Amino acid sequence: MEPKNVSLEMRDYIAEMGAETINWCMQCGLCTNLCPWRLVPGETSENFNIRHMQRLGQMGMEGFEEESVLFACSTCSMCQSNCPRGVKIVDNVRAMRASIVGGGMAPANLRPILGSAHANGNPWSGPREKRTDWQAGLDIPAFGPDTEYFLFVCCHSCYDPRSTKVAKSIATLLKAAGVSFGVIGNDESCCGESMRKLGDEELFQKLAQSNIELFNGKGVKKIITTSPHCLWTFKNEYPELGGEWEVIHYTDLLKQLVADGKLSFPKAAGKKVAFHDPCYLGRHSQVYDAPRQLLGSAAGGDAVELGRSREMSLCCAGGGGRIWAEVPMGERFGELRVTDALDKGAVMLTTACPYCLNMLTDACNSLGKQDELEITELSEILAAAL
Amino acid sequence: METKMGVYICTGCGLGDALDIDALATVATGEYKAPVCRQHAFLCSAEGVGQIKADIEGEGVNALVIAACSLRVMTDVFDFGPDKVLERVNLREQVAWTHPANDEDTQMMAEDQLRMGLTKAKEMQPLEPFMAEDLSKRILVVGGGLAGMTAANEAAKAGYEVVLVEKSDQLGGYLKDVYKMASAQPPYDELSPNVLDTLAQEVTSRAGVKVYTNATIGEIAGAPCLFDVKIKQNGGEAAERAGAIIMATGAVPYDASKLENLGFGKHADVITAPQLEAMFKAGSVTRPSNGQPVGSAAFILCAGSRDPEHLPYCSAACCVESLKQAKYFKEANPETPVYVFYKDIRANGNYELLYKQLQKDGVFFVRGTVTSVEDDGAGSLVVSADDVLTRSPMMSESVDLIVLATGMVPTSALGEPFKAQAPKEGEEKAEVPADTILASNILNLQYRQGPELPALKYGYPDSHFVCFPYESRRTGIYPAGSVRAPMDYSRAVDDATGAALKAIQCVEMVSQGKALHPRAGDMSYPDFFMQRCTQCKRCTEECPFGAINEDEKGNPLPNPTRCRRCGVCMGACPERIISFKNYSVGMIGNAIKNINVPDEYDEKPRIIVLACENDAYPAIDMAGIRRLPFNAWVRFVPVRCLGSMNLVWIADALSKGIDGIMLLGCKHGDDYQCHFVKGSELANIRMTKIQETLDRLRLESDRVHLEQLSISEYKRIPEVLDAFAEKIQGMDPNPYKGF
Repeated sequence: MEPKNVSLEMRDYIAEMGAETINWCMQCGLCTNLCPWRLVPGETSENFNIRHMQRLGQMGMEGFEEESVLFACSTCSMCQSNCPRGVKIVDNVRAMRASIVGGGMAPANLRPILGSAHANGNPWSGPREKRTDWQAGLDIPAFGPDTEYFLFVCCHSCYDPRSTKVAKSIATLLKAAGVSFGVIGNDESCCGESMRKLGDEELFQKLAQSNIELFNGKGVKKIITTSPHCLWTFKNEYPELGGEWEVIHYTDLLKQLVADGKLSFPKAAGKKVAFHDPCYLGRHSQVYDAPRQLLGSAAGGDAVELGRSREMSLCCAGGGGRIWAEVPMGERFGELRVTDALDKGAVMLTTACPYCLNMLTDACNSLGKQDELEITELSEILAAAL
Repeated sequence: METKMGVYICTGCGLGDALDIDALATVATGEYKAPVCRQHAFLCSAEGVGQIKADIEGEGVNALVIAACSLRVMTDVFDFGPDKVLERVNLREQVAWTHPANDEDTQMMAEDQLRMGLTKAKEMQPLEPFMAEDLSKRILVVGGGLAGMTAANEAAKAGYEVVLVEKSDQLGGYLKDVYKMASAQPPYDELSPNVLDTLAQEVTSRAGVKVYTNATIGEIAGAPCLFDVKIKQNGGEAAERAGAIIMATGAVPYDASKLENLGFGKHADVITAPQLEAMFKAGSVTRPSNGQPVGSAAFILCAGSRDPEHLPYCSAACCVESLKQAKYFKEANPETPVYVFYKDIRANGNYELLYKQLQKDGVFFVRGTVTSVEDDGAGSLVVSADDVLTRSPMMSESVDLIVLATGMVPTSALGEPFKAQAPKEGEEKAEVPADTILASNILNLQYRQGPELPALKYGYPDSHFVCFPYESRRTGIYPAGSVRAPMDYSRAVDDATGAALKAIQCVEMVSQGKALHPRAGDMSYPDFFMQRCTQCKRCTEECPFGAINEDEKGNPLPNPTRCRRCGVCMGACPERIISFKNYSVGMIGNAIKNINVPDEYDEKPRIIVLACENDAYPAIDMAGIRRLPFNAWVRFVPVRCLGSMNLVWIADALSKGIDGIMLLGCKHGDDYQCHFVKGSELANIRMTKIQETLDRLRLESDRVHLEQLSISEYKRIPEVLDAFAEKIQGMDPNPYKGF
């Protein structure tokens, strides 16, 4: 075998791109063993070893740039949350991707996605002027100087037909509770969370700057996000760029409203529902109780806990840009999630993230279990129970 | 001495319910005519003990037989002073708690155990501690490095006079060339100054410490508290008497010239860790090849360690030393590329934090085997390795300097094997393999078995690293620091402090005439009845502690303060001339002969179990505490060590009609557990002789069986005893019954 060369320059470049803790790794391998890729068979599972990838980065060695390695991670943070050395593994993955994508070497399948985000301000090839089409017939208020909350709807829920129901449900719930909120509209851009995870630092900076200027110009102080991904980047990545707002996920806000008596769910569905913790709501943002409390009040005693839940929840595989990856059937984490729900006797699997909704729906269909298990987003259950 | 026996039978702890106490008392008063015999329901209470004391005062009782619990418990309660004979008969753990109550066999067992105790007590003599003249409590420390200075300092702080002997012209040892040390204080990720000056100043300024530099040990004769030390200094010789010795002569780096595969000797810029340390100490770190500054460096760990071709063991300190040296470079310039090639980083204790810091500092840590060190063609060096973590061969960038972390070789290993005196013509060759003793010219002991401490593996002095790390096979001599085992600075400090404590314990105990570990406090010691000695040398050869010297004629010259009181000499002696006042061949033989052996028609076989008091006996007690039942034909005879077993006991037992004999002792071999190092091994060697006895008596060899058992294996006790009893039952009864 040809010897691999150590490169101090490469290692330092990766560190500069954001892998600040790459040297902290002591190569214990806990990350690899906790990685959801260990749970599925196939080529990616065989090629992708997060410890090994960190090792290559640590030594500035080549080999990590191979597509099935570099873009395999769904940034679920299972490894990072458990790392004994506190290595920011997700940042390291992002930096290693950036060291390649930043040089203009984005893989072919991602180019249209990144291109659309550049051109349209969203990765879904949706025209800017159709960003608010989901509002049809709902009379959604526009954000103005007197509005308390700015409702930031994830691009996925603006354009994806299935996902627009999430936006509608959340708006309905907010109205029912009498929340002062509004939407800015077509000038909004994608939060850029997934673009940055894919390593397109430049694109992220562009999207973020555009949003920060827009939101600050409109006098935004508080933001409700529909997606945990937007929540996470607004809270964790925007402040150092000048975007400092009070950001809350809709489940957290609704939980408060229920507690304050401003919202109640008289028409509980009476179905056995399981909740899937989205990685960016749970492990990344530490929100575990709000969705459970809401589900408890809307589904009564019919909520069931999945075997892997909360901190140990299994990723749907939609984060880190993986929502755009083509994965063969039998290798999708979502399929395990569907099985988890069926094992617990659930007839409905609900979640609180548009990406999870998308991934779980695909997985349920590919398993042909759509008649046994209905995939929903939590806001849909809540809105139906009003 | 006129003895008056008092027998005390406890009926508490269930004994009264399980046994016919009156029948037991009749054994004492009838068969053995004990003038005083009492029962008490709670013998270890103040009232019970008060009764015994009243008999000592009022009745003149001076030989006490306590028939109650195990001899291992209540030792402080049943202590009536060394001038009284005391024998404990274990009726509780080994009889009542392990056998059915009110059963004929249980009762017979209790009575036999009592008979043996009574027999022994009749023959025992009160103890008189060994007291020699001019006993010294001074502590000799050999070696003035970190461990030696620490030991001297600690002993002096505790109020003991110390003689410190250092080979070179100043104190410090390895520390003399050390630039900085890995910090022993939180947060552990920085370097701290060398402690040498402070420590040396502290040691030399202490009133009780006498330092000899440029000095070596010419000779050490004598025994604990009676060591006569000749110190060679500047061509002259000084004499000192010492009580105990701490050997802290340290280690030397492994010879790097054997590491040509790592480039040493081939490339000028491949140096050893001590060489780099000296460079930093001197304030000039340059490349030996051209005198230019060092812009990048690679460390190769386990250079010669953990390598079957070189040192098979881990040298324990090199990982942290190399991390420390890597830190030197990073402190000087954080941008300096530094590589560390390692097998495992063993950053003991809190030094994991230093390791973590060096990782954060950006050191390249490469786990795997270095395959080559080569010139890059431009005057620098490139290291290739098989990197475990990327599962591929790898190559470093060019580096200016390569540092080999050479391992430690103990100074005790630097010497040729000492040849024991070859047997003279007509003499039998020694049956017992001699200890490995390397003539390393450190202590130059005037011991019959050789001039230095016996070594176990790799030339390190023997010590049981789990149970008694400081104990060497020479009483009163305690190795400490890197001569005892590979270790880093902070462990060496702990080690030296521990050794100082052991040395203090030694001089205090010996000056009271008491034994040291493991029979700490024992005041008995062996007596030699020299008129009957045949100069066979077995005692001098077999003593695991080299306690017995020899005159020119081969007569044994015992040194009681070297003695650990194991009785191996007693077991070895074919003439049975070696005895303790409370433990002798005759005493145990008679105890065995006093077992009541039913005739063969009763179908009650009898088995004696010679049980080592250190592991086997407590294991049987433990079985009792757990109420694990076992066969009632066994009779337990506690022995100080299986090595103290004299073959005549086997003959005594078999001619008495005993059907089986089990020797229950510790594990021997490489990972021995024998408290007396070689006792169980010696018993095993003697077992081969038993065959002769059995053949002579025309008995099956299976009747005698040796079983190795560790203290934790108490659960095996019923299985071991029952299986042997079953085997004995399968044989015909011993035909000597009734003779």
